[in-house]
Amino acid sequence: MKLINFKTARNLLFIFEIISLSLIFLYNWPNIEINTIYLSLGLIALVYVSNVILLKLSKGDNYIFLIVCMLMSIGIIMIYRIDPNLGIRQLQWLYIGIISFFITYIFFKFYNKWDKHFELYLAISYILFFSTLFFGLRTNGSLRWINIGGLSFQPSELIKIIFVFILACIYSGKAFSANSKFDKHKEIITLGIVYSFIAILFIQRNLGASIVFFAIYAGIQYIYTQNLKYTIYNLVLFTFGGFAGYFIFDHVRIRFITWLNPWEFIDTIGYQITQSLFAIAEGGFFGTGIGRGRPNFIPLSYNDFIFSAIIEEMGILTGIGIIMLYLIFVYRGFKIALKQEEMFYRIISIGISLLFGVQTFIIIGGVIKLIPLTGLTLPFISYGGTSIVTSFIALGFLQGASEKDLNGGSQNE
Amino acid sequence: MSDIERKRILKVVSIMAFLNIILIFYLTYFQIFQAENIKQNPYNKRLWADEQEIIRGSFYDRNNNVLAYSIIGENDNIERVYKYDYLYSHIIGYSFREYGKAGLEKTYNSSLIGNTNTIDINNIKNLIGNERQGNDIVLTIDHDIQQKSRELLLGKKGSIITMNPKTGEIYSMVSMPDFNVNNLANEWENIIENPNSPLLNRATQGLYPPGSTFKIVTALSSLQNDSTDTDYICTGSIIVDGYRINDYDGKNHGNVGLEDAFIESCNTYFAEASLRLGHDKILETAENFYFNKKIQFDLDLKQSSFPTNDMTKTELAASGIGQGRILVTPLEMLMVTSAIANDGNIVKPHLVSKILSYKGDVIETRSIEILNNVGNYNDVKKIQDMMIDAVRIGTGKNAKLRDITVAGKTGTAENSSGLDHAWFVGYAPAENPKIAVVVLLEEEGATGGRSAAPIAKDLIEFSLQKLN
Repeated sequence: MKLINFKTARNLLFIFEIISLSLIFLYNWPNIEINTIYLSLGLIALVYVSNVILLKLSKGDNYIFLIVCMLMSIGIIMIYRIDPNLGIRQLQWLYIGIISFFITYIFFKFYNKWDKHFELYLAISYILFFSTLFFGLRTNGSLRWINIGGLSFQPSELIKIIFVFILACIYSGKAFSANSKFDKHKEIITLGIVYSFIAILFIQRNLGASIVFFAIYAGIQYIYTQNLKYTIYNLVLFTFGGFAGYFIFDHVRIRFITWLNPWEFIDTIGYQITQSLFAIAEGGFFGTGIGRGRPNFIPLSYNDFIFSAIIEEMGILTGIGIIMLYLIFVYRGFKIALKQEEMFYRIISIGISLLFGVQTFIIIGGVIKLIPLTGLTLPFISYGGTSIVTSFIALGFLQGASEKDLNGGSQNE
Repeated sequence: MSDIERKRILKVVSIMAFLNIILIFYLTYFQIFQAENIKQNPYNKRLWADEQEIIRGSFYDRNNNVLAYSIIGENDNIERVYKYDYLYSHIIGYSFREYGKAGLEKTYNSSLIGNTNTIDINNIKNLIGNERQGNDIVLTIDHDIQQKSRELLLGKKGSIITMNPKTGEIYSMVSMPDFNVNNLANEWENIIENPNSPLLNRATQGLYPPGSTFKIVTALSSLQNDSTDTDYICTGSIIVDGYRINDYDGKNHGNVGLEDAFIESCNTYFAEASLRLGHDKILETAENFYFNKKIQFDLDLKQSSFPTNDMTKTELAASGIGQGRILVTPLEMLMVTSAIANDGNIVKPHLVSKILSYKGDVIETRSIEILNNVGNYNDVKKIQDMMIDAVRIGTGKNAKLRDITVAGKTGTAENSSGLDHAWFVGYAPAENPKIAVVVLLEEEGATGGRSAAPIAKDLIEFSLQKLN
C-alpha cells in the first residue's frame, strides 16, 4: 500500500522550499536583493526541471534524487542565510552538480565496460594522491587541495568514488582474473592497496576521509570475502593503526583530547566544537527560526559545521529529519544493490551507499561531539564545489545502477 | 546472489541504520540533559550578543519607582544604569560582560532581553520584525521599606526580610555586607577577597541554626501530637546522655506549661518536649513548613534542612530548640512565621510581581500561591497567642509597639564562631497581619531579644505607616 506517491513527495518538497524562501524574504524585508530572487527562482526551477527530466529519463529509483533535492534545498537555504554570496555560488555548483549527475547517469548506463579498467582506476587514484602531496595547498593544517587553472579542487573526494570502483573490480572477480597468482592473494593485495591510500590520507592529515575509505573497504570486504578472518585482521590492523597514530601524530591526539573534554581548551583547540555545541544547545527542538540565530559564531558554519548551523535555526527536529533522510537514502541504496543482478553493479551501489552513510555519520557525530571531530563535508548540504559535484557524480552512478540490467528490461521500484 | 551475500548486506544495512539511530538518540539526550547548562557557559557569545542590540528592560518597585534601566550611551553602546549603588545589590544584582550576571538580572535575563517562552499572536510581529527592546520587570519591593531595612542593618552582618504573610509579596530584602554594583571594576578584588563575602545573599543563601525561633515548629508539633506537658519544672538545665542543655544564662523558669515555656523561651522544656515527640513527629511538622523541600524562588535559594537520618538523643533534644544539625535560611524562617500569621497557610514568597512589555502590556503576573497548610486553626491560633505574649510580656518585649499588637519570637543561636546569632521573627498587626519580618544578626554576640527585636520594632512601625 502506498500512502504517498512520488508526486506528493515532490510537492511537499516544493512547499518546504517556498516556505523557507519566504522566511528569507520576510527576514530581509524590505531590502530584497535581486540575488535573492535569482536564488529562489533558480532553486525551484532546478529542482522542478531536474525531477521532471529524471522521471522521463529513468525507470530506476526516483526517490534517491528526490531525497537529495530536499537535502540540498536545506543546505543552500542555510548557506544563503549565512552568506548570500556563498549561497549564489552554491546554486551555481548545484547546477553544475546536477548536470554532472545526468551526464554520469547516461554515461554509466550506456557504457558497459566499467569493470574492465581496474589498472586505470588504480593509476588515476595514485596520480591524484601524489599530485596532492606534491602540489597541494595546506589549509587548516591539512593537505587536501590542488589548484587547476585557478580552480581549487579536492582530489580525495573524487578518489572516494574511484575507490568504490576499484573494490568493485576486485570483489566481483574482474581485477585479477587474468593472473591466477594475484588472484590467490587477492585479499592481501587489496589490503596493501587500501592501506597505502589510508596512509597517504593520514600524511595529508585527512583523518575523516581515511576513516571513510576504511569503512567502505571493511563493509564490502565483510560482504564479499571468502574468508571472514580477513575482515577480522583488517579491523585489528586498523584499530592498532589508530592507537599507533594516537601516539605518533599530534593531530590525532589533539582530536581525541578535544573530544573528551573540549571545555578545558575552549579558547584553543576546543574552540570549534564548543561553538558548535553552543549553537545546537541554542537551537533546542524547534530552532530559533531562520535568520534569528547566530550561526556566524560557528567557524566553518557553511561547511563542516553546517549541521550545527541548521540545528540552531531550524531545531533538532529538523536535524533528526536530515538524519532520517540520509538513513532512507542509504537504505534505498542498499535496496538497489539487492535488486541488481550483476555483482559488479551491486558492489558499486553498496560502496556508494556506504560512502554517503559513513561520511554523514562521521561528520554529524563529530559536530555533536558523539565521536571525535574530523573534518568532512556533509554530502549535498555543505558548501563546496568539489563536494557537491563529486557527490552528484556518485549519485549518478547509483541512479544508473538502480536500472542497469544487462539482461534487458528494467524495473521501476 | 547467494544467501550469505544477501544476509551480510542486510547486516551492513542494519549497522548503518543503527548508527543513524544513535545520532538521533544522542541529539535528543543532549538537548534534554545538557543543552541548558551549555547555553549558560560564559563563553557562549550568544549570551551577550543580544545585549549589544537590545535595550535591556528596566526594574521598577511596587510603586513604579525605577530602580535600574538601560540607555544608549556614547558610541551607541548600551549601558546599564543602577540607580542605587548598594541598595539592590542582592536583589537586582548586576549584569556586566566582565563580571557576568547575578540576582534577578540573571534569573530573568531572557525576559529582560525580550525573549518570552510563550508565542502568542501579538508576538509574531516581534519575531519577524526587529524589535529591539526588552521587557520591564515590576518588583513586589517597596523602595522606602527597602531603604529603611538597609538603614537598620547598616554596620552589622546579617539579613532582614519583610513580606506580606498572606500574599508572599516581599517588601524588602537586605543582606549585609553588600556591595556597590556601580563600582565593580574598582572593587571586584576586594569584594572577592573579603572574608565576610559581600556577594553572598544571606537572606537566601546563608544557612544558620535557627535557635529558639524554631520553637514555633516544636510547639506546633507538640500541640498537634497532644504531647504538651502542663506541669514541667524547669531547673535551668537538663542532662541528656551526659550532655548538659542549659537555659539562657542558666535561668531557672520554675513550674512552666507550654505557653510559659514559649514566652520565656525555656530551653529545657522544649528539649524535653522534643525527646517526648521523637524524631519522626518533629521531622513531619518541619517538612510541613517546607524544610528539606525545594522552593521555586526568583533567586537561587538554599534548601533549609532538618536532619532525616538517625539522631542521638542529645541531637534530638538540641533540635527541639533549633540547635544541632538544623540549618535554615532567613527566608525559610520568614515563611514559617508567615504561615502562623496566615492561620496555617504557607504562601510562596516572590520578588517579581509582573513582567511588562516595553509598551506596558502585561505579559506575566504573579498570583498568590499557597504551598501547604501546616496545621489546623486551633493549634495555629494557640501559637499566635503565644507569639503575641512573647512580645507583650516575654523575651520579645523590645519589639513591642504602643498602638499595634506585634507577635513574635526571639532566638539566640549558638554556633562555632563563639558569638551567638541573634534572631527575631514576627508579624503585625496580630489581629490582621499585614507584614511579617525576620531579622538575623550574624555573630552578633547578643540575644535576639536585645539586639534583633528593636530593629524589628522600628521596621514594623515604619512599614505599617508606609503601607497604610
